[in-house]
Amino acid sequence: MNNGKERLIVAEDVQKEFRDDDIVVAAVRGIDLTVETGEFTAVVGPSGSGKTTFFNLISGLERPTAGKIWLKDQLVSKMSGRELADFRRDHVGFIFQAYNLIPVLTVEENIEYIMLLQGLAKEERRGRVRKILAEIGMEGFERRFPPKISGGQQQRVAIARAMVSRPELILADEPTANLDSQTGAALLDMMRELNRKTGMTFLFSTHDPMVRERADRVITLKDGRVVEDERRALN
Amino acid sequence: MGFTIKLAWRNIFRNKRRTFIAGLAIGVGLATLIFTDALILGMKANMIHSATAAYSGEGQIHRQGFRLTQDVEKTINNPAEVIAGLAKEEEVEAFTRRAMSFGMITSPANVSSVLFVGLDPESEKPLSHIDDNIQQGDFFSGPEARDIVIGSQLADLLEVSLGDRVVVTVSQAGSGSLAQDMFRVSGIYHFNIKEMDGGFAFVRLGKAQEMLGLGTGVHEIAIKFRSLDSAAEGNTSFWEKYSVNGNEAVSWMVLLPQLKGVLNMVWISLIFMAVLLFGIVAFGIINTLFMSIYERMFEFGVIRAVGTRPGGVRRLVVFEAGALAVLSIAMGTVLGLIITLIVMKTGIDYRGIEFAGTTFYEMLYPELHLQQFLIYPAAVFFFTLLVGLYPAGVAARMSISDALRKSL
Repeated sequence: MNNGKERLIVAEDVQKEFRDDDIVVAAVRGIDLTVETGEFTAVVGPSGSGKTTFFNLISGLERPTAGKIWLKDQLVSKMSGRELADFRRDHVGFIFQAYNLIPVLTVEENIEYIMLLQGLAKEERRGRVRKILAEIGMEGFERRFPPKISGGQQQRVAIARAMVSRPELILADEPTANLDSQTGAALLDMMRELNRKTGMTFLFSTHDPMVRERADRVITLKDGRVVEDERRALN
Repeated sequence: MGFTIKLAWRNIFRNKRRTFIAGLAIGVGLATLIFTDALILGMKANMIHSATAAYSGEGQIHRQGFRLTQDVEKTINNPAEVIAGLAKEEEVEAFTRRAMSFGMITSPANVSSVLFVGLDPESEKPLSHIDDNIQQGDFFSGPEARDIVIGSQLADLLEVSLGDRVVVTVSQAGSGSLAQDMFRVSGIYHFNIKEMDGGFAFVRLGKAQEMLGLGTGVHEIAIKFRSLDSAAEGNTSFWEKYSVNGNEAVSWMVLLPQLKGVLNMVWISLIFMAVLLFGIVAFGIINTLFMSIYERMFEFGVIRAVGTRPGGVRRLVVFEAGALAVLSIAMGTVLGLIITLIVMKTGIDYRGIEFAGTTFYEMLYPELHLQQFLIYPAAVFFFTLLVGLYPAGVAARMSISDALRKSL
């Protein structure tokens, strides 16, 4: 790249087929794509277009049938299960549509979880938790359990958990789907702000026009292929 | 590790009712094991006591070969030395001397072969239950040397009652000539044991020694110990100490091998029951854990996605099994203790019932031992962890993308 940014994700003719006895379904049919650090990108497309499968391939949750995927110059598609687990822990943050949090852990413990997996010391963990809770405006919620806070607050905590371990990439799969539009918009604004402040790369799989409005790049998938890749300059 | 334990512990309380039911099922299994063990221990003690206290004693000393041949000439060597030794033994509560020979008992109506036994009534009382089972008459309470005490079945056969005369014929030691004497029936006992009620005739020791031509010789010294453990075969130092000078000292385990066999059979039954209970418990644990896992598929998908290794998931599920085990053990031990304590207070009335040749004389009470609350709970704990490995393996191997897809 010649814009001064590093390449974070490189997908090269990535294909994914699912087999059920004799039936073969091609979910991803040869995607070539590069995502740079700091992007705030929306991957859009109708249901069945291959968005979630593509996300799973990038993060190593599934292996491609053909093609190669590099994430931070590491060939994800060839890693072992254990290597992938460690790689995701250290380099990828996840935000799902709902039920992101472990309900029996407090807000603080949920955010700490990945740092525990990373083996960070308690002081470091607690310091980061305090800081990120302040950033997402949820100070004082440390001891609350997820079922005792609202859906929007739960998604904020999920964002905090995804970001607190300082990964290079945040994958967000329909993060606003279960929220009302006002809460969803506030959440997206917060993520956009965090993206600008931290330089973390956000990749959204979404149907939500609000995400599309805020993204500086919109990739459209259809039938497992990239049919449009639009870069936009936003204020 | 601490975090995983905390998470596992909280996880099992997500569905309190299910956890309580599963824990109770495992706990009831554990309580059953504890109670059955306590009952068997009580039954063992009762059976041994009933069998040995009736007549034989918990151990006996004879001249070597006497038990096999019942040869009247085989009296105990150096009896005075043996008796002096036994009198000093801390673990011996009581002992008594006996002289005996097979003989014939005759009444005007009938004749029967019997084991003719001479005993010392005073030292016999704390050792055997003959005096306790006297139905008619008494147990050598008068001064009469020709008193004879016989069993109810023998009395029926001879058609004699209290005060009637019988004649006993035995073969004398040394010469082998027959000795005959007349006795008066002074007591009739009833044990409800065929061999005892029909096959023995008891007279005073001095009279038997005189008839058998033994002088002061005796054939048998029966022993009662302060603790049943001392009477076990394993107390080798005692048996070896008195198995000298041509004598042999043996435990009830040797004297009553059929009883030892029955007790072994009872233990095997307990093991069989334990295996059965553990099998049922295993299905309960597997079912509970799988229900819990399938309910939380998406959550497992999330924790795997964010970087938890398969081993971490496996550990979490095994810890959940462990947490369930801890809860079950708490319920099971309390339940087991309560049931056992209640039955220890009320007892089970098996008195008069004959089992494997032994008639229970006393109420049956379970016996509590610390090991029941250590071994069985530990077994349940480790068994639960072991069984938990299966659902844990399934959870650890599940496809992350499938887990995330299926539950949404």
